[in-house]
Amino acid sequence: MTAATWSAEQRRAFTIGLAPALIVLAAVTLGPAIYLVATSLTPLTPLTPGSGLDFSTPLANYSQALFDSSFVHSVGLQLELSAITVGLQTLVGLGLALLLNIESRFMEAVRTGFLVPMVLPPIVVAIIWKVLYTPNISPLYAALGALGISAGSLVTDPTWALPALAVADTWEWFPFTLLMVLAALQMMPKEPLEAARIDGANAWQMFWYVRLPFIRPALTVAVLFRLIDSIKAFPLIYIITNGGPGQATEVTNYYAFIQTFNFAYWGYGSAIATMMVGGVFILSLIVARLGGTQAVGE
Amino acid sequence: MQTRIRRRHIMAAGAAAGGALMLPGKAPAAGGTKPLQGVTLNVSCWSAPYPLMLTKYIPEFEEQTGARVVYTTPSFPIYNQRMDIALATRSDAYDVINVTFIYIGRWVGAGWVVPLDPYFSNPKLTPAGWDASDFLPGTTTVFKNAKGELCAIPWIADIMMSAASRYDIMQKAGFGLPDTFAQMQKMLGAVNGKDGLPGFITENHYGWTFIGFLQGFGGNIFRNPPHDLMPVLDTPQAVEAADFFCNMLRSYGPKGVLSYTYDEVVAQLKQGSMIYTTENEDFVAQMAQPSSKVQKTCAFAMFPAGPAGRFPQIATHGWGIPIGSRKKDAAWQFIAWSMSKDLLLRMFRDDGWSSITRRSIIEMPEFRQKLTLNGYDVAKMYLDTIDLGAKGYMNYRIVPPYPQVDRQIDIAIGNITSGQKTAKAAMAEAQQNSISQLRRAGVKI
Repeated sequence: MTAATWSAEQRRAFTIGLAPALIVLAAVTLGPAIYLVATSLTPLTPLTPGSGLDFSTPLANYSQALFDSSFVHSVGLQLELSAITVGLQTLVGLGLALLLNIESRFMEAVRTGFLVPMVLPPIVVAIIWKVLYTPNISPLYAALGALGISAGSLVTDPTWALPALAVADTWEWFPFTLLMVLAALQMMPKEPLEAARIDGANAWQMFWYVRLPFIRPALTVAVLFRLIDSIKAFPLIYIITNGGPGQATEVTNYYAFIQTFNFAYWGYGSAIATMMVGGVFILSLIVARLGGTQAVGE
Repeated sequence: MQTRIRRRHIMAAGAAAGGALMLPGKAPAAGGTKPLQGVTLNVSCWSAPYPLMLTKYIPEFEEQTGARVVYTTPSFPIYNQRMDIALATRSDAYDVINVTFIYIGRWVGAGWVVPLDPYFSNPKLTPAGWDASDFLPGTTTVFKNAKGELCAIPWIADIMMSAASRYDIMQKAGFGLPDTFAQMQKMLGAVNGKDGLPGFITENHYGWTFIGFLQGFGGNIFRNPPHDLMPVLDTPQAVEAADFFCNMLRSYGPKGVLSYTYDEVVAQLKQGSMIYTTENEDFVAQMAQPSSKVQKTCAFAMFPAGPAGRFPQIATHGWGIPIGSRKKDAAWQFIAWSMSKDLLLRMFRDDGWSSITRRSIIEMPEFRQKLTLNGYDVAKMYLDTIDLGAKGYMNYRIVPPYPQVDRQIDIAIGNITSGQKTAKAAMAEAQQNSISQLRRAGVKI
């Protein structure tokens, strides 16, 4: 058997071996995605028989969305929420990872404790924060009251409702960044740190010039995951604010949910979802390129 | 295996249906085999006092018929979303469902729930004396399809009322229960903050709680429902009503007033943590229960009148059978049992269930006597309100795209109360968005 024939046989064997997995992957991932895009090209609503096969004006949902002020407003809110939550989670996760990067049994226990919010079911987290944000039953408000401080409800104040959701989301998900960064820090070789120390680097210089370049790829992945997840934010909004007050917390994800499941505009909801997938893809590409290039550049 | 079990169960249910229906009330099934042995019925309703009370009686149905009932009562929005999808997809996941008031137009209009006439008019399927005509016409009319067939059996006729949790505070300030919006405003201005309590609360489903005020000021949702569905949310009357209502919430409501759901409102009222409300009868009546802290200080009246008159909102919900159910006969047995006069009477006597839809019970002296809550003749208010509803002002609520407009009202009231927009701007936006939504739904306006 010649080398070329052997190589062709090898490729064939790989293809045959991979085929079942690829077929399953296509069925469970690509299939629904294609259906989503196809649906977005129709005015599908369960109230109108046959509307799912009406492709006469395929871009109608997309053009409607561009002129739908509620949708445009929701995109702005989504970006704001994502920026705040990802920013806060990165800072808190990174800061705590640096503080907890000490080898001791006590610190191991502390680290485990910090992971609790992340493993709670999202609906439980939402209920915890609903209680905390409800003035007449909240221990937080009771404590403030005992100190003589009278605070208004954050989640019904249009200025504070979105930041209040961001704080709850940060509490739930900063452990993810913490975990990723901590793992990277613990993989870090000791030599560069010792060399920097001998050269007289202070704590900030050690972080900025030695640790940060090393953990940047892990941090990029963490930011990427959190960014994607922030766009999927739902239980907190559903339980705590229901998109309000007014539309102050009606982010795109929630808006798509209302359009699809409250109003039965499945075609329109699919168009919004398709645009969200496209947006997430582009954002992910930017973040990955940015983080990846800089890491390589270092 | 799965198919075989299902088929066998369906056949068992069908064969046994007639016999089982001859056995309402507490009578045990004759012989060793129970009529619905092996049948599992999936029943769902939103979480409200009646469906929750029903929970304790369901084992009796299971005992009588041999059926197993999987009973779920999620919250109102979750229930509606879940059921809307199940019905739209003709799912067989549910056998008995609640037909929600604001979804009547959509669910009945689209034929997603089956007509019940063939069941209740068939003596083989329904026991003698069950009498479908005993249900208040005001509650059954809305559940009829275009052919005039009844598609749900109403389990509630709920009315919007005026009620005080701490009437003692109002009396001390020299006020009775308000009969008009103007009196209400004056009273709330005087009592708000007394004993450290907020004056006013109502649930944050404003597409329901605001409408009595909107119509009281002479406004409406649509120009002439159900024929002319052009929204009229930006009229001077509508703006005035929104301004008045939001001022009540903002000035006399508790902190975070926009976040109060109906169950939170009920809990606060029973605790005596709020002074006054305009809410559903089945919610406010709970203030007179033994578990309430305000049994002695609660008071009740009809919903106040505005400059254009009195428009207490009326809602009804009913049990129906989804078109996708594969156990329709067994499902009907559940409905016939749950809405039998015997069971409703027991629920009234033992649990205090008062939003009854059967006229024969409402007209019993016992009903009038028991619905005299803390000295107030709530039964009379109930019947008077239902009579008012006969004028047809609730027609706006049963048009298929009402849920879309309902959401716009929620947003507008939230925007005004939280100070994001003026009443005029918020209602103009609600009008525009409602028009867009209705056009998207295919309504010609």
